[in-house]
Amino acid sequence: MTISRRRFLAHAGAGLTMAGLVSGSHPFGIMSALAQTSDGGEPSDYRALVCIYFNGGNDGNNTIVPLHSDQSVSGYDHYFQARGPRGLALSQKSLLPIAVPRIGGSAYGLHPALGTVANGINPGLHPLWGTGKMAIVSGVGPLIMPITRAQYQSDPSVRPRNLFSHTDQTQQHHNSRADAVMLSGWGGRIADKITTVSNPNRLVPTVSSIVGPRLFTVGENEQPLSLGPAPTPLSSIFSLTGYNGTPIANARLAALEAQILLEKGQDLVEASNDIQSEALRISRTLNSANEVTAVFPATNLGNQLKQIARMIKARSALGVRRQIFYCSLDGFDTHNGQLLGQNALLTQFSQASRAFYEEMVVQGIEDKVTQFTLTDFNRTFDPAGTGANVGSDHGWANHQFVIGGAVTAADFFGINSSNGTPFPTLVNNGPDDADSGTGARGRWIPTASVEQYAATLARWFGQSEADMPFVFPNIGNFPVTDLGFMAAS
Amino acid sequence: MNKILYLPCLALLLIGIAVTAQDDPNPNSPSPVLVAGSESDRILLRGNASAYRQEPGRELRVLYPPANEWVTANIRNIQPLESEGANSIRIFVKQRSGKTFELDVRELKRLSKDEFAITFRVFDRSGFRGQPVADGDSLIYMTWRGNASNMLKIGLGSTGGIEIPKLLEPAGIRSSDPEYAGYHFAGDRIRFAEQAAFGPSPMLDMRLRRVGLRTWLAEQFDAPYPTFAYPDPPQSPTNPPSDCSLATFPTCYRERYTMIPLQKWFFTEALYGEAQLRHRTAWSLSQIWVTSGLTVQQSSHAIAYHKVLSRNAFGNYRQLMYDMTLNPAMGHYLDMVRSTRTNPNENYPREILQLFSIGLYMLNPDGTLRLDQNGQPIPTYDQATVNEFTKVFTGWTYCNITCQNSSPGIVNYKDPMILNPTNHDLSAKTLLQYPGAPNPVIPACTNCTDPEQIRNYAEQSLNMALDNIFNHPNLGPFIGKLMIQHMVTSDPSPAYVQRVGAVFNGETGSPRGDMKSLLRAILLDPEARGNAKTDPRYGKLREPVQLITSLARIFPAVDFNGENRSDGALASYANLMGQNPFNSPTVFNYYSPDYNVPGTSILAPEFELLNTNTSTRRTNFLHTLIFDGLTPNATDSLRGTSLTFSEFMPLAEADPTGTLLLDGLNARMMHGRMSLAQRDIVLQAVAAVPSSNPMLRIKTAVYLIAVSSAYQIQR
Repeated sequence: MTISRRRFLAHAGAGLTMAGLVSGSHPFGIMSALAQTSDGGEPSDYRALVCIYFNGGNDGNNTIVPLHSDQSVSGYDHYFQARGPRGLALSQKSLLPIAVPRIGGSAYGLHPALGTVANGINPGLHPLWGTGKMAIVSGVGPLIMPITRAQYQSDPSVRPRNLFSHTDQTQQHHNSRADAVMLSGWGGRIADKITTVSNPNRLVPTVSSIVGPRLFTVGENEQPLSLGPAPTPLSSIFSLTGYNGTPIANARLAALEAQILLEKGQDLVEASNDIQSEALRISRTLNSANEVTAVFPATNLGNQLKQIARMIKARSALGVRRQIFYCSLDGFDTHNGQLLGQNALLTQFSQASRAFYEEMVVQGIEDKVTQFTLTDFNRTFDPAGTGANVGSDHGWANHQFVIGGAVTAADFFGINSSNGTPFPTLVNNGPDDADSGTGARGRWIPTASVEQYAATLARWFGQSEADMPFVFPNIGNFPVTDLGFMAAS
Repeated sequence: MNKILYLPCLALLLIGIAVTAQDDPNPNSPSPVLVAGSESDRILLRGNASAYRQEPGRELRVLYPPANEWVTANIRNIQPLESEGANSIRIFVKQRSGKTFELDVRELKRLSKDEFAITFRVFDRSGFRGQPVADGDSLIYMTWRGNASNMLKIGLGSTGGIEIPKLLEPAGIRSSDPEYAGYHFAGDRIRFAEQAAFGPSPMLDMRLRRVGLRTWLAEQFDAPYPTFAYPDPPQSPTNPPSDCSLATFPTCYRERYTMIPLQKWFFTEALYGEAQLRHRTAWSLSQIWVTSGLTVQQSSHAIAYHKVLSRNAFGNYRQLMYDMTLNPAMGHYLDMVRSTRTNPNENYPREILQLFSIGLYMLNPDGTLRLDQNGQPIPTYDQATVNEFTKVFTGWTYCNITCQNSSPGIVNYKDPMILNPTNHDLSAKTLLQYPGAPNPVIPACTNCTDPEQIRNYAEQSLNMALDNIFNHPNLGPFIGKLMIQHMVTSDPSPAYVQRVGAVFNGETGSPRGDMKSLLRAILLDPEARGNAKTDPRYGKLREPVQLITSLARIFPAVDFNGENRSDGALASYANLMGQNPFNSPTVFNYYSPDYNVPGTSILAPEFELLNTNTSTRRTNFLHTLIFDGLTPNATDSLRGTSLTFSEFMPLAEADPTGTLLLDGLNARMMHGRMSLAQRDIVLQAVAAVPSSNPMLRIKTAVYLIAVSSAYQIQR
């Protein structure tokens, strides 16, 4: 037996202690929740950022591949020479062609999983390139400051901390800085600055995560809401088992809530109480399923993005004009079995992300909602292993996808490397390789930092220039703070 | 009241009275006292004049806190060991902003028999939440061995504007029974059973009372394991046989080829097994040496891996390193099994350094980061080192033909990996360089002309490389701290880590890497022991697995019908709360040892699994478990699980006020430290249940205590 919201509210009204104890301890009481839900109306200016994180380090070298034969900027031959003999190269004809204006209209290819696939429920992401709703940012990775290959090799102090380690590189993508530990992420810090300005009447936090409070979502002050994925309806994520309105149950519920206020100052106990308390508060706010229209794949990521789409649909009732979301997909650490593994994962990404885009079209806000990707690192251009088990090891700079109606063009963005494009030169021990010598394995040195990429998104989201140094502590080290892939705010 | 509880056991106790625990010293450490100045609520400080400013219009001088000014305060009521220095003490400042800072502590000096001086500066070394600001009075307190001092004011820049909050609520009823012989520190017994076992079952508590902690540890070191035989499912051929396919015979497939047999056995052993310490230690080690059923998908594979953990749990860490390096499940999970001379794979070499032995940064003996002259941490190794170790670990693979469990068509995960000589790298390798490092270089093989010579060279190289890692000074503090975090407390004091690390590094007489000595050091340390701990950051959140097992041992679990043992099918419930046992999402375990509670600098790894979503699921799971029991289902649980509360029926029946029941539950669940406020709250809900229904009263009380954060934190 689960408690319905209506019954819960009935208790709240009737209960002797509960309403006072719990709702009174928060800025938003039950009454304001009701007032807001009846408010309705589309907020005049709405924006959402949706971070899709690929856990483990997606192999960007097989996600976007040159199809052309212009050797000055690395063509398919360069790619095939390194990866073909070991069985890690995708065939030229399997790749999904895209024309890249920034590189003279040259042809590049997307991984085949990003287009039409067997048993797919939609045509995937590839067609969004043709309609100008998807951009690719190349050469992105953690950096303290812009560096050359020579600087990287001669001066350890310019290197990000613990390069090629999962935990550290993940942290650096989440908190945006590469030179120090920081216990907040850039999504959370954007929320720190924007919440009181844009979401003064919020009933939920600005940031929501489907996979728990990952570092990206944690602010210095603002903390995220953790939701579970679909198919669980939004309205039942926080419902409590066992409360049926009898006096015995009511007394138990009152006790449960009263306990949450105990032991202030006992840091660990209080931290647990804060979470329980927030869950109870939200149980009174997320009271509608807000079912969506588009068909989502019933996959891990599909169910996460579906839940996010529901939260976006509920935006007016929840009183938010700015929302940040975080979801993630595991399994990208393809040291072996990469061909099958990455194909399955990118299929999942493409199908779920496209479904989400279509739902935003249905909701009429595809220009106001931007999906973007992050991942631990790229992988070594040089394969690991051979044959059916072939994989790749930990690399550095990667390509990222930005999806939504607010991108400026279907193009490559970023800072040019020595070959005059943001796309790295695909040569082990070449001008963009952090490795050197005969054992060099192709770990591309970034030309654009995570902060430059993130700041471009944050600016579109409405973050002020004055707050840039707070959100992105090292942004001042970079001459360009807008990579140009997002429309003016 | 406790006589009622224990009368049936008295006879049993008398039989065993010859063996008593008189050797066990008083486990309780005194609570430190920060000495106040002339204003009784303000700390007494001494320091250079430059550290102070005169407050306008007042006699008072206030501290102006530039980061480099050291000041000294006095402490009473501590009894430090000779080895216990400044790093046994932590000083915290709570500011009006709500932020808490841990201050940099430098020196502890004895002033007299019972007074000490501690030197510190108003500067947070981690700086994770910035630095304290001079915005008036802040609150200052210190902790020592898991106990907090009184709280005083400290004026930063100015004074005024802050009230000292009410001190911690007084504890509820204590439950020590000094009239019985034995280890009579009742609170400490319960705490110990949570740290060294999967929870305080009545039987275990009885045993601890009778023989004391040290003797119990000795018994456990010799106890046969496991109590319930490991399952022995066959290894699946590449394609499961047609009479056991997933599609047609899902039950057969599940019982042979999935992780479920291991998970059920694991919980059965945790709930009912006698060799609790070995099982608990293996469980902790499995969260350091992580493999996952998400990749290594069969119980038969993971059981061979678990046997390596449990076999070495009381052995030597060096042997564990060797056995695990050649374990096929690990070989598969971190790709060593396919790493060859021409196609080397960095995965295992990187993680054995980063996660399983020494970590990324050079550590002081107390586990804190060593810093260079610029205040930056010093990496333990770099990518080049990883590349060199990678060469050492090349050429090993499954023993599919020549070993005991080799069988045609089956990949052998049961026998250790063997070397394929053609795939081993014969060049020289440069390993970790540190003072006293054994084998800083492995020379190239000069006489590798036949396979046997290569095998010998590879085996020798493997041992040289493991010795090179094993003898790194980081080993003791790095592994010591992880094991403390898994067993006792999330944020141990540096002094505790140092004591444990020194034992593990072999600096105290026992061999380096000796697991028994490590466990004794962790579990008998004064920071672990005592009836109660008052440090607000002491303890750890109960991870889902132990949230389940602790309750299932306090209220002995049976099957749904109450007739037999539970079938141990509990993994799916732990999974819903964020922890799918032996199916970790990545090699970084279910949660990170460095995780901080969001928005704070509170180190609390298990909190990575707790959020608004999972906290609701925890509460709901506890409701189902306690009130209804976990129903059997055809998928994975034929018998289900429920709890028994018979021990508490006499208490519930005897006393219509519910007081006796609460006292009993307080002793067993909260080691006698339930706050009076919580007791009143629970009593109100109990009183709403008619006294004619004592079982519902018990369940109501157990549920409310179990869902309370005061219980969810094991401390």
